[in-house]
Amino acid sequence: MAPPALTTVRARTLFTPLDTGGRADTVTRRLAQAIRLGLLLDGERLPAESQLAGQLGVSTVTLREALATLRTMGLVETRRGRGGGSFVRAPGDPGRLERPLRLLSLHELTDIGDHRAAIAGTAARLAAERALPADVTMLREHAERLRGAAALTERRRADARLHIEIAATAQSPRLTREEMDLWSEIGDLVWLPMEGMDVAPAARDHDRLIDAIEARAPERAREIAERHVAAETARLLDLRLSLHHG
Amino acid sequence: MTQPPMTPHLLADITALIERVLASVTEVAEAMTAVAAAARAGRRPLRRADLTALRPVVTKVLARHRGFAAGAGVVLAPDALADAPRCIDWWWADQGIGQLEVDLDPASAEFYDYTTTEWYREPARTGRPCIAGPYVDYICTHKYTFTVSVPVVDDARFVGVAGADILAGEVERMLLPGLSMPGRANGPAVLVSGDGRVIASGTASIVPGTVLRPGGPVTAAGPLPWVLLSGPALVDAAGR
Repeated sequence: MAPPALTTVRARTLFTPLDTGGRADTVTRRLAQAIRLGLLLDGERLPAESQLAGQLGVSTVTLREALATLRTMGLVETRRGRGGGSFVRAPGDPGRLERPLRLLSLHELTDIGDHRAAIAGTAARLAAERALPADVTMLREHAERLRGAAALTERRRADARLHIEIAATAQSPRLTREEMDLWSEIGDLVWLPMEGMDVAPAARDHDRLIDAIEARAPERAREIAERHVAAETARLLDLRLSLHHG
Repeated sequence: MTQPPMTPHLLADITALIERVLASVTEVAEAMTAVAAAARAGRRPLRRADLTALRPVVTKVLARHRGFAAGAGVVLAPDALADAPRCIDWWWADQGIGQLEVDLDPASAEFYDYTTTEWYREPARTGRPCIAGPYVDYICTHKYTFTVSVPVVDDARFVGVAGADILAGEVERMLLPGLSMPGRANGPAVLVSGDGRVIASGTASIVPGTVLRPGGPVTAAGPLPWVLLSGPALVDAAGR
């Protein structure tokens, strides 16, 4: 099927059928991770038990066991009666969002930035060599979507989606998968310091990057992508240091 | 541009195989048409649950083309179903068979708008089969992929498309011996899609996924909308 949504990150994390031997612990881990990554949002209603169990490839008994654990962890709330069901609990206190950043050392943040630069830089270079006019049009649409995204989660997803599409434009399934994995790992962090901040600088970088891809200027595209990642990494390092002092 | 004399032979096997997939996809489309016609005859709205009738057909098709086609199913036109504004009933085959899950809520940031894809748009627009790609399919196969699709029509109404995902690696594997065949009169040949994307190449200096821009007008090398380049035409396209 064709280019589109970040659905896959969500689908893979959440809905990939479990291997036999998976069971309640695996379901618990996977749902907890999805909530932590923001793939499931606060207040979001989970699919009906039978449906969710079917999607995960486990019995409803196993799913109920996992839901009970998640309730104990305070990540899921079950309401009875009309309009009832299981709901995600991920209260948006800033401390909670900062926690993943606190867990990373400056060296680890730098390392993630280096990895991202390698992937995004190469993807941008190859996209500039291999893009067809229709690909450029599609990339511009995604850049526009990010510009228009108001909510933080929406920005994160639009940003991730754009970078994943650039890797797909490079015609590389491996780079595409790397971008998807990187964004599911660090997507929250990238937009963390952007709370209340302007989307314009990132949007400008993206426009210049797509210009370079359209102009078939591989080295320029690579440089813009690397600098873009470096700027985001620098901001995260600043924020990590400020947490340390705070 | 004149075609090298061995063209028909070179593409004969892959064309036959893709035509078999197309025939299978047409079977799925006919099953979908039957489902829609049955609902219409019963004067009841078409519902998502009706699609379960397609499952044996899709399963059979995936088994028939195992290792070549990695996914198959139907995608409904918006509002074709009474109980879902959009619907994908798509199945992947790997070790087992599983159903593809995607977000079809237009209000969602992860919304997957399949109506903008080439493999949906083309059959919807032209009423004819389409082979889209190759492209990186990060929704279903996670591989370099072609999608073969045909329109589903019931009582002159466009209901959606039926399709199958074909692994680009398998297509290349079949073509490689012919393209690189030593002693080819015109030297190595390169097969490109209609928009110039390299599908398979007989020379290491031009790799699949890159874009060639043929200088002059080109002719499809057979029933598929693909173009074979070799000799001076290839040198010219590669230099652009």
